[in-house]
Amino acid sequence: MLRFLTERAIGMAVTLFLVSIMVFVIMELPPGDYADRYAFRKYSGTGLTITEADVAAIRAELGLDKAAILRYFDWIGGIILRGDFGQAYAFETSVNSIIGEKAWLTLGLLLVTLIITYVVSIPIGIFAAVRRGSAVDYGLTVFSYLGLALPNFLLALVLLYFANSWFGAAVGGLFSAEYADAPWSLAKFWDLVKHMWLPAFVLAWSAMAYQIQTVRATMSDEIGKLSVTAARARGVPEGRLLLKYPARLAINPIASTIGFDVNRIFSELPIVAAVLGLTELGDLLLKSFLDLDMNVAGAILLLLTVVIVVMNFLSDLLLAWLDPRIRLGG
Amino acid sequence: MVCAMRPTHTGKAGDAMMLRVENLSVSFRTDEGMITPVEGVQFGLDAGRTLGIVGESGSGKSVSTKALMRLLPNSARLSANTRMTFVDKRGETIEIEKLRPGSRALRRLRGGEIGMIFQEPMASFSPVYTIGNQIMETIRLHRGLKGAKARELAVETLSKVGISNPSARIDQYPHELSGGMRQRCMIALALSAEPRLLIADEPTTALDVTIQAQVLDLMHDLQRELGMAMIFITHDLGVIAQIAQDVAVMYLGTIVEQGPVRDVLQTPAHPYTRDLIAAIPRLDRLEHRLHTVPGEIPSPSARPTGCSFRTRCSDAIDGLCATKTPPVTDLGGGRMVRCHRHYPERTAT
Repeated sequence: MLRFLTERAIGMAVTLFLVSIMVFVIMELPPGDYADRYAFRKYSGTGLTITEADVAAIRAELGLDKAAILRYFDWIGGIILRGDFGQAYAFETSVNSIIGEKAWLTLGLLLVTLIITYVVSIPIGIFAAVRRGSAVDYGLTVFSYLGLALPNFLLALVLLYFANSWFGAAVGGLFSAEYADAPWSLAKFWDLVKHMWLPAFVLAWSAMAYQIQTVRATMSDEIGKLSVTAARARGVPEGRLLLKYPARLAINPIASTIGFDVNRIFSELPIVAAVLGLTELGDLLLKSFLDLDMNVAGAILLLLTVVIVVMNFLSDLLLAWLDPRIRLGG
Repeated sequence: MVCAMRPTHTGKAGDAMMLRVENLSVSFRTDEGMITPVEGVQFGLDAGRTLGIVGESGSGKSVSTKALMRLLPNSARLSANTRMTFVDKRGETIEIEKLRPGSRALRRLRGGEIGMIFQEPMASFSPVYTIGNQIMETIRLHRGLKGAKARELAVETLSKVGISNPSARIDQYPHELSGGMRQRCMIALALSAEPRLLIADEPTTALDVTIQAQVLDLMHDLQRELGMAMIFITHDLGVIAQIAQDVAVMYLGTIVEQGPVRDVLQTPAHPYTRDLIAAIPRLDRLEHRLHTVPGEIPSPSARPTGCSFRTRCSDAIDGLCATKTPPVTDLGGGRMVRCHRHYPERTAT
């Protein structure tokens, strides 16, 4: 178990290092740098003529003239040692103050989405497998293929329309107008809960459809296993039997693919955020790419990938906990 | 004692039997239509005796015993005249074919009255629970013991089947044990509920030969010690000779010959039994090539007309075996055979 943990932890560290390099390369890709923009913003409209030398001076002052490798270490060092993601170009402030709360909101949205995904897909998948070949099973299968085929921004629009016209609810965004800039309180939290279910459901949509099929397939497999027949042959009541034997194993593939689901959810986040007017990282990521604000974009990309990598690590741990064959190296 | 295969045979002796199976026919609805892998099987078993059922893969041995435990899938149908009666520990007669699925009586029968062990000891245990967890589950269900008491009994049963250091082994997972050890644990699991009858479905086939002998010895000893009856399914007549008192030879879903093991092995009446005996490899005949039963067992969906064995029989009678199903012939001494070669001699008069 200790060896398993160390191996996975080392794997995670290496992945994170490679990811940070890739993010840094992406940040370096667009032409121009912060010095150009700084000079432009400071002196445009003043009638002064800016020379290359002036820009170079600004660049030197900000430390941007150093070699890329040194700047990488400055950047990653700041993040690791001080939690400082650097300067945001577009907002004249630090990346941290822009991202700050939004990062937590995004993480919260992710967790709620994952919970909805599993709370819905595990029981339905098990049920479909137990009743496989029945009308209910076919119905669920059609439904889940629909889930895979239907783009979720479209679903978001449809739900938005119905939520609005049936409940008269203003469901866009994550907060009502009066709470958007208010300090945290119980009322604000409740407002968040009321707003979060819709985006979480939309984001969970395709992961849900996918996982229903996964659970159904593994469960169907497990139900036919000899160990299940053996348990039945020793008189275990059917309901308890299904939960204790096949269902217990049918959730293993779910545990091992949590990382994929996080990935899926994050790749859908920007477009769903745009449709639903969410004010979290997805929305900010889209904006910062449009503004070529690479420090913000880089910080968000790094945060999201770190979450994915860490979730993958956690899913490995969860699987080891669930399956003694992995835990005990069988 | 093996009871008669004939449907007409109903006697006082038969009524006292612990297990009676009459007219057992199992059909499955498949995409290619109905197939009947088991047809008209009859046998009986007294308390404390061992019946060996022998036959090739596909002969219906496992389907017959699964029917006894009502473990067949929903697509399986028993014929209307199938009767399976079992006298339980309390002396009450259970009509197995009439038990409702999911009923308490059926759950008590499974495990509590009839225990079952399977060919693959690894696959018989769930990999995610310890051996002890699964044994104690059986004890809770059938012996009404919980917690430390159940654990104590589980450890005791494990040591009874020859597991060393049972109080440590009980907390191990199936993948941590060897094949022979796993099968011992499976036996312990079945025995922990103290069944009257143990059905062993090729329990030694997946094991090494030396381990096979150990497990056979163990089962033999335990059976004598506990006074438990046993149905031992195998494709190996050599194993039957070691462990069973009576034998039923199955071919394509029917019993073609049955009787006391010694008699059947010494003077086999059915050509198929003769072929099976000739197919046992023997060390004193190494110069000969291995003998095999010619041809392959046909699929139950393409059962030959008349006698189902005639396509592989070296002794078939032209015109008769292909058209008429051979009836059961009583050879006396508890021996029955289903072959035209024996029937005409007895009815010629």
